Amino acid sequence: MSERRILLGNEAIARGVVESGCAVATAYPGTPSSEILPAIAAYSDEMGTNTQVEWGANEKVALEMAIGACYAGKRSCAVMKQVGLNVAADPFMSVAHQKLDGGLLVVVSDDPGCHASQDDQDSRSYASAAKIPCFDPSDAREAKAMVADAFDLADRYGIMAMLRPTVRVDHCRQDVEIIENVVSQRDAVFDRKPAGKRIVMPAVIHGFLDDHSARFEAIRGEFGAMDRYNFEVPSEEPANLGVIACGISYSVVRDILNRLGRKDVSILKIGTPVPLPVNLVEDFVDRHDRVLVLEETQPVVEGQIPNRTAVMGRWNGWVPKTGELVPEVVESVLLRALGVKEDLSDREVFNKIEEELSPERRRPRLCPGCSHRPAYFSIRKVFPDAVVASDIGCYGLAIAQNAVDTNICMGGSVTAASGIYLAFKADGKGTDRPIFATLGDSTFFHSGMTGLATAVYNRHAFVLVILDNRITAMTGGQDHPGTGDKMRSGEEGVSVSIEEAVKGCGVKWLSVLDPYDIEKNKKTIEKAWEHASSNGEPAVIVFRHPCITMLKVKPEYRPVKVDPSVCIGCGICIRDFNCPGLVWDQATGKAMVDDRYCVNCGVCVAVCPKGAIVPEGGDR
Amino acid sequence: MQIVIVGVGGQGILFSSKVLGEIALRRGEKVIGSEVHGMSQRGGSVISHFKSGDHFGPLVQSGDADVLLAFDTDEAIGNVSFLRSGGTLIVNCDDPARFETGTMGEYLRDKDIKVLSVDGYGILREKMGGRFLFLNVMILGALVASDSSGISMEDMASAVMDLSPERFRDDNIKALKLGFKR
Ligand code: SF4
Ligand code: SF4
Repeated sequence: MSERRILLGNEAIARGVVESGCAVATAYPGTPSSEILPAIAAYSDEMGTNTQVEWGANEKVALEMAIGACYAGKRSCAVMKQVGLNVAADPFMSVAHQKLDGGLLVVVSDDPGCHASQDDQDSRSYASAAKIPCFDPSDAREAKAMVADAFDLADRYGIMAMLRPTVRVDHCRQDVEIIENVVSQRDAVFDRKPAGKRIVMPAVIHGFLDDHSARFEAIRGEFGAMDRYNFEVPSEEPANLGVIACGISYSVVRDILNRLGRKDVSILKIGTPVPLPVNLVEDFVDRHDRVLVLEETQPVVEGQIPNRTAVMGRWNGWVPKTGELVPEVVESVLLRALGVKEDLSDREVFNKIEEELSPERRRPRLCPGCSHRPAYFSIRKVFPDAVVASDIGCYGLAIAQNAVDTNICMGGSVTAASGIYLAFKADGKGTDRPIFATLGDSTFFHSGMTGLATAVYNRHAFVLVILDNRITAMTGGQDHPGTGDKMRSGEEGVSVSIEEAVKGCGVKWLSVLDPYDIEKNKKTIEKAWEHASSNGEPAVIVFRHPCITMLKVKPEYRPVKVDPSVCIGCGICIRDFNCPGLVWDQATGKAMVDDRYCVNCGVCVAVCPKGAIVPEGGDR
Repeated sequence: MQIVIVGVGGQGILFSSKVLGEIALRRGEKVIGSEVHGMSQRGGSVISHFKSGDHFGPLVQSGDADVLLAFDTDEAIGNVSFLRSGGTLIVNCDDPARFETGTMGEYLRDKDIKVLSVDGYGILREKMGGRFLFLNVMILGALVASDSSGISMEDMASAVMDLSPERFRDDNIKALKLGFKR
């Protein structure tokens, strides 16, 4: 029985994972991959499988759990985003060489164009570095089919395979065929023989290397025969151009050729970029005078083509070297390759419209009512000159209220604060300037704890602020060790205490505060820094308030208004507090509440130095 | 049919594209579209692409959209280039003059683009106690009224019903009707 449903690309991938009989699925959330694991849990519930679905505290933890399950002979899968693979790179590279007992699938979602990421890296390069096969889907349907084939391949060869969707595949919505069957799986066994099979020691690994290489070449051959993912769409008229297209670029270029009505372009679609089925590609290149390669983000396929004299791509700058290949970019590259001049006449009109109407382009910022805003506001109020290291998560958006100075990666705020402290110390003025590190609850468990232990050990003076909103908010609200909630229905977890973990790391000064209480908290913030600086050790503040977008109980209704007779139009509330619920009234030159965005949290009453923001009273 | 939906985070844009997808699926059409997740949902610009029929990629290209559904006036201005000649703009806007005068008005008339403005916030303030979260369904009501999508009120209402959480059902239908009548 099959059925057609509209699924998110990530849901299609999840469905494929469950249909493939995957026994253990793990992940750490990260846009654009975040919806995959919860969907695996939901489909496992729906289909009644026994799949174990778990969040790891970070990607390395998640991947290592999946690897363990493979050692016991089960199909397993680990899901992450491209930057998460950096965190998991260590086990990723090691396990690539081993001969596994169960098929291991790593799903790594890339984000060309950096929609919600700090970089543009191409995970296919990781697959190539590790010599593991990589599937590069062009839409949700294909992504689901590839999951099944990747598991099959991984199982047969005892290897890890990678599915590498990009953001437009993860977040496309498409009608997809689903089935009710689940591939049946062998029972878990941990076979201790041959000894050393799962040990990474030089002597053992030496024996793996040739075998690993041989498997890689054998898979290249299999990929050459996978004509459902690697195929030619011949031109209807004699071809003036050949296009090699990978992943979503294939879908994009087909729409554009239809739109332009061009029948003189043939396409070679490549769905398995690593290892590249070179024979197919060479044959295609030989038959065309000029070949354009479209792939995101790096020239991974282009770089594997032996003879590139007639090839145009990112390598030689024909295609922009960075960024997403959206339809507008692909069309312009394609037309250039075909020698057609682009029509840019409308562009001037749009520029003129922008000039006349100057629409506001909204940048992301903390939500109205978000508890991070008052936390940062209080820190800046007490120490306007403090160095505030931040981290990856919603709270990084406090850059809009000028409260954040640095941002490296998950867990990087704690260690950056250590480094900043050491830099001042090296100048002999150790604790002149207040230093704060801020990170979220999920991030604390991801990789904040290791930095904290290091800071305690080395006696680094700074205040670590854990912005605990009881959820992994930035990626859509996933659970983590601190929340203790699990995904599959009927399963119960245990909530790990942040305070106990902090104390366990050896922190002596700790305070838990409600960030909404700006006035009251100022003193504690002062004390925290005083303790850190005078004792030469980290102090920790936990600001605890649930994420406003995921509240389970209705918040207190505390509406406010700006009293125009008191407001002097200083703009402090707009600039330094930056709540979308407070806007500038052009007519009066004063602040006012915008009822479209204000959620009546009442926090901003403490923000105005003149006391112009006042409670309005009343009930809804 | 190609529709681009624009607005800012928190306006319920994803729900509207889900409704459109459901209707197309029930008609037996192929569906593909693109959603936005992460950063842009935190109050930033949000754009969702929707395509039914024979398409490969999820993104609507500039100049191809049959309809631009704009939940926000500024976003409508910034994304008008998505519309094709003869397309339809449906916009939440309290000042229709912005799309009637100047270069914008000229452009829309030149391209024969039909404009339907709905004072969404005004109507919701007056008729639904300022519960602005119903804006998305209200705009869908206007989409039906515009006759640009070939979607009947019946089909729209039943898809909205089926996809709404129970506690929002009645209010969603009310908002849908308000958008239809304006
Ligand atoms: S409300 Fe207060 S902080 Fe805001 S502009 Fe007026 S005086 Fe300044
Ligand atoms: S009460 Fe003040 S802080 Fe809270 S949402 Fe409204 S404007 Fe923002």
